[in-house]
Amino acid sequence: MSAPTVKPKAMIQDNTRCIGCRACMVACKSWNERPADHTDFFAGAGYQNPRDLDANNYTLITFNEIVTGAKPDWVFGRQLCMHCEQPACASACPTTALTKTELGPVVFNESRCIGCRACMQACPFVIPKYDYENLAPKIHKCTFCADRLEVGLEPACAKVCPTGAITFGDRDDMVAEAKRRIATAPDTYIPEIYGLEEVGGTSVLHLSSVPFDQIGYITGLPKTPMPDLTHRWLRVTPRVFAFLYALFAALLWIVRRRTARQEHRGEKT
Amino acid sequence: MNWRIRLTWWDKLLLAIMAVGAVLAAVRYAGGIAEVANVNNAYPWGWWVGYGVLTTIALGAVGFTITALVEILGVHRYHTFVRPAVLMGLLCYSSAIIMLMVELGRPWMVWMILVSWAPTSALYEVGWCAFLYINVLALEFVRVPLEQLGWGRALRILQVVYIPIMLLGVTLSHLHQSSLGTLMTLIPHKVNVLWWSDRLPLLFLFSAMMAGPAMAILEHLAAARWLGFAPRTDLLAGLARIEAWLVGLFLAFQMGDLFFRGATDAMLSASWPTASFWVEIGLGLLLSLALLVMPEVRQSQAGLATASSLVLAGVLLYRLNVAVIGLRVRHWETYTPAIAEVGITIGITAAAFFAFGWLARILPIHEELPPPQTRPHPAAQPAGALRGAEGLS
Repeated sequence: MSAPTVKPKAMIQDNTRCIGCRACMVACKSWNERPADHTDFFAGAGYQNPRDLDANNYTLITFNEIVTGAKPDWVFGRQLCMHCEQPACASACPTTALTKTELGPVVFNESRCIGCRACMQACPFVIPKYDYENLAPKIHKCTFCADRLEVGLEPACAKVCPTGAITFGDRDDMVAEAKRRIATAPDTYIPEIYGLEEVGGTSVLHLSSVPFDQIGYITGLPKTPMPDLTHRWLRVTPRVFAFLYALFAALLWIVRRRTARQEHRGEKT
Repeated sequence: MNWRIRLTWWDKLLLAIMAVGAVLAAVRYAGGIAEVANVNNAYPWGWWVGYGVLTTIALGAVGFTITALVEILGVHRYHTFVRPAVLMGLLCYSSAIIMLMVELGRPWMVWMILVSWAPTSALYEVGWCAFLYINVLALEFVRVPLEQLGWGRALRILQVVYIPIMLLGVTLSHLHQSSLGTLMTLIPHKVNVLWWSDRLPLLFLFSAMMAGPAMAILEHLAAARWLGFAPRTDLLAGLARIEAWLVGLFLAFQMGDLFFRGATDAMLSASWPTASFWVEIGLGLLLSLALLVMPEVRQSQAGLATASSLVLAGVLLYRLNVAVIGLRVRHWETYTPAIAEVGITIGITAAAFFAFGWLARILPIHEELPPPQTRPHPAAQPAGALRGAEGLS
């Protein structure tokens, strides 16, 4: 992993090729040893299950009923950690329990976590989940199968996808491939790669046949990395500290000297 | 030294509230956070952070504002407010730490912040500054019991380090009070446009400063009433005048910020956050400011109590607006605090009140009162002689 020649990886989630079989969800549960859970149909999104990611579900195929042409149709979307190039969650973590690895995954280190949930608050994609009912709760999210990547395997979801909706490879190649697909089939795709520029770029690149906000994606995110927002303030902290300390010391000295001169209370400094 | 007090009806009430909070906390430790709280995957912080941490720390700003006023700016006539202010600060920060022990998923790991290097994390800075500052507050306050116990050597050491330590405390306060705002700058997509600003650190700092004089005024009035001394109305009027400036500063800064961000339209939208915004501005800032600029109000105990309470309500609502009420994640996700969740925080706050009331009766916190009888030196100085001396002495 520390080899300088390592190339960051990425995944294409091509929603136009997704048939909603949810093999990725099953493989994800299997590899990450997440238990099965009893689910119910909920009002609104039809056959989708469960409603949202949670501590037992690190990825989710969303079922969206969209009217294309004359009749309604299923259009699938997928939720999983985007593995941002500059992750807000990792920047917010006070104990570096979340880190971005060179290969691309944003990984969680349970042994450093204090459970402040700043990562959950920070994530622009609302991905990290918590098991509030546990006595030693953990942050749960897609790991990009970092353990598989380290030994040269592809993520479990990419491995099992039967329709080629999930493609894994070097990020540079994946960006080129996503662009190529849009260029060669402009009728199939909307001309947008979700994750190419969102919050400064991510390691998961989504393609779609309909605008992303129609299939439940959070849109309108800035194109600049989220950590920049806090970095602007935090990077000046040492200087502000030194400046303020000197300022207050100077104020105190001036005021005390003036008071001493006025001899109003002369007993001490 | 006598640590015992006679429990009044108020003490017993506070102890009862603390007992309820302790039972709820026990349920939380036995069954997990989900057992008592409604915090969820979309709203991971909720009331515990909005009130228990963000508001409590803001109220704790009374420690550094009054200290800075007296010790740095040299306005020694307010010296009588320093000891109560430092004690209130200490108790507010202690409350926030106890809150964190309940709120954190893995409270036994909290020391990890102190052995990490995470300069990109606002929470890391808040954690370090607050940890250092609570030590500063403890060092500032420990003079009082040491004096009572007659530990001269320890007092002399504290005397030597007092000024650098006090300056450190005021500096650290500026840093972490503003960093609590930095925390929220990271989530522009979640915080309502009325409150999200890249100037949130300054807004948080100013709103915390605004809590300082209000806390000092209310404490003085309450102590005068329950401990039985005549309130220093001239000094209170002066503090109220300072408070008016601080409320004005925050109001002007918040309005200016809204204007420069071009978010003024949101002030007129029909929504719950907007309603909450106007309660914050109307009651917490405009009404309190209107009261504070009236000389009759500044001279009246009821007027001062009302205006100060409004200011504190404004600070509370501001913090809740930024961190809870103004947060929106996705349309189907909601958060309303559970009764047990609020109950634990009330228990912690009751404990802080109880501790203050107890310490105020066994230690010389208020210059207006004769020192407690068990002083080692029977020829105790008259109360007035305590004033003007260096530091907290």
